[in-house]
Amino acid sequence: MKHLRGGPRKIKYPVRKPSASGLRIERIQKTFGTYRVLDDISFTVVPGEILGLIGPNGAGKSTLLECITGLLPVESGTVGWEDENLSRRQRRQLLWYQPDNILPFAGQRVAATLSFFRRTHGASTTDLEQLINGLDLSPMLNKPLQALSKGYRRRVLLAIALLSRQPLLMLDEPFDGFDLKQSLAVMDLLRQCRAGRTMILSIHQLSEAEKICDRFLLLDQGRMMGIGTLDELSRQAGLSPGASLEEVFLAII
Amino acid sequence: MPSSERLSGFQLARLILIQEIRGLLAAPALWIMLIIVSLLVGYSFIQAVDLFSQASRTAKSFPELASGMNPMEGIFVPTFGAYYLTETLLLPFVAIRIIGLDKQSGALKLLLQLPLPPLSLCGIKLAAMGLVWLLSLLPALLVLVFWHHLGGHVYPPEIAVLFAGHGLYSLTVVAIAMFAATISDSLPTAAMLCLAVTLGSWLLDFAAGGRSGMLEILGSLSLTGMLRQFEHGLLSTAHIAAFLGLSLLFFLLTATWLHPGRRPASKLRNSLTALLVLGGLAAGAVLAPRYMDLTENRKHSFNPADARALRQLDKTLTITIHLDRQDSRFQDLEHDLLAKLKRCVPKLKLRYAATGSTGLYSAAKIDNYGLIEYEYNGRRDQSYSNSQEEILPIIYHLAGVRATPEPAPAYRGYPLVADARGSRWWFYLVLPLFFLGIAIPGCRGKW
Repeated sequence: MKHLRGGPRKIKYPVRKPSASGLRIERIQKTFGTYRVLDDISFTVVPGEILGLIGPNGAGKSTLLECITGLLPVESGTVGWEDENLSRRQRRQLLWYQPDNILPFAGQRVAATLSFFRRTHGASTTDLEQLINGLDLSPMLNKPLQALSKGYRRRVLLAIALLSRQPLLMLDEPFDGFDLKQSLAVMDLLRQCRAGRTMILSIHQLSEAEKICDRFLLLDQGRMMGIGTLDELSRQAGLSPGASLEEVFLAII
Repeated sequence: MPSSERLSGFQLARLILIQEIRGLLAAPALWIMLIIVSLLVGYSFIQAVDLFSQASRTAKSFPELASGMNPMEGIFVPTFGAYYLTETLLLPFVAIRIIGLDKQSGALKLLLQLPLPPLSLCGIKLAAMGLVWLLSLLPALLVLVFWHHLGGHVYPPEIAVLFAGHGLYSLTVVAIAMFAATISDSLPTAAMLCLAVTLGSWLLDFAAGGRSGMLEILGSLSLTGMLRQFEHGLLSTAHIAAFLGLSLLFFLLTATWLHPGRRPASKLRNSLTALLVLGGLAAGAVLAPRYMDLTENRKHSFNPADARALRQLDKTLTITIHLDRQDSRFQDLEHDLLAKLKRCVPKLKLRYAATGSTGLYSAAKIDNYGLIEYEYNGRRDQSYSNSQEEILPIIYHLAGVRATPEPAPAYRGYPLVADARGSRWWFYLVLPLFFLGIAIPGCRGKW
């Protein structure tokens, strides 16, 4: 794995037990007033995979993640784990959603914030130290979150998310604010942390999504335009195998 | 279904409580409030001691006036007026922050994903505010120390009731502020909503002063009106229940509306249920109140023999009063007699006869102005007196009962000529610097 600033660094991340079942989303509908934000969204997430939620700004990616987590009510639809529908309480045990553009406990030192989430997630100090090293957060630990640059804020949020122990991790725009090199390092970190863990990444940068995701769910104006691997989506779009995600995206949406 | 490693609910609650306290201690609003409390309490205390001393000089020359020198009324209630101001105008800003800032920063979205229900989360935030309230009592404790040091008298039950009243008032204000922050999109809107309630309550109490009918009832049930009962040293189950009912209601409303994932219909249903259940319980306590007079001079109570005799009246005692409610004679009558009768006589009917006037001075032109009529079991009597010593025999005569007052020690009063100006350094300098010393590293994110 690559260190965010320096060269490669061997870091051993906590290995989690793989889960034998997956997330099931069925016919989710969500409206804000008269505007339908999500229209009949259904899909499953295979355990251990990384699913990319792909779509332009305003496609409904963040709303979908909040509906899955239970942070937003839905008009209809269910969220389940295999055959069992999940209550809000069960979702708290199984899912962790890291929203975009948040600044939790902004005036507090980064070290205190990370320590708080380490404890609440039940993670070990070794986990935290490894994440701090991997995300190159050491120089920022004594600064308040609000004093950090956008990139460092992202790293702190990523660390909070990766400290969580829930088997399904949903990250909203995890690569936003990173340059190419940093994005690659974050991808490397996510791959290391994926052992036994399922991830849904909401991404609007197609190049990054193509590099890390196993499958893609294409969203546009709240509608599901397609789901599958890049090859499957290429076939759906009538493109030859080997087409880039950008080509597929433009062909489908 | 896989499960994640989890802390126990208690461990998680403790961690969040520490985090909330850390957040509050890093809030400039808290420290500004504490510094202002210190200055206001100090000023009120020094002024109160000065006035008390002036009155005490006269009382020392005329011992019969000494019984009127009560430290609770002369020192502590005016000093705690500073707390009323702070709790009404400043505390909401601190309380709003504990939810509003989490909403604004997005921290709430993370906290709500932790394996802890919103009700517990709200409870933890309320507990953190409790600590803030305890911290704000530091100047009050200093007042007690200085008053004692000056040789002043302290009657603990009265002080306890005063603290309890302000505690319940603060609890209610905090619960209202938390709810305002929950339903508002921004901190300023929440502050305006909360101040509308607290200042509205003060206004209602002010407007109801000397009025009758619904306005009087509303005024007595306003937050300010309820707090006044505690300031008078009278512990009433009705007011405790009303304060607790309101606090619990707003607390439950906060917990209900805090989670953005709940459907509005479900939130409305839960809110209505809480309103009906708590409203019913509080109404029960308000309609059948019990009182405990914790004043040292027992100013809210009749002599035990009188109280026993009055409780035996099984018919309706009707008192018709031809006095303007703003007349000082009426106010004396109300405080010295009517309020006590309301708590003792099982069936009491008070009739405030219309004076046919619009003002205090025009009222005096009416022939029977000042007359008070008594009727019990078809027998009538009347008097112009507003003195308890003259009125009780009239009532006993009408009811055909006898009461021989039990000997009780007379309240001798506690006049004290003292100078509290020496304490000003503590309230104006030492305490503010102490708060500032804790605030600066906290606000700079050093904790």
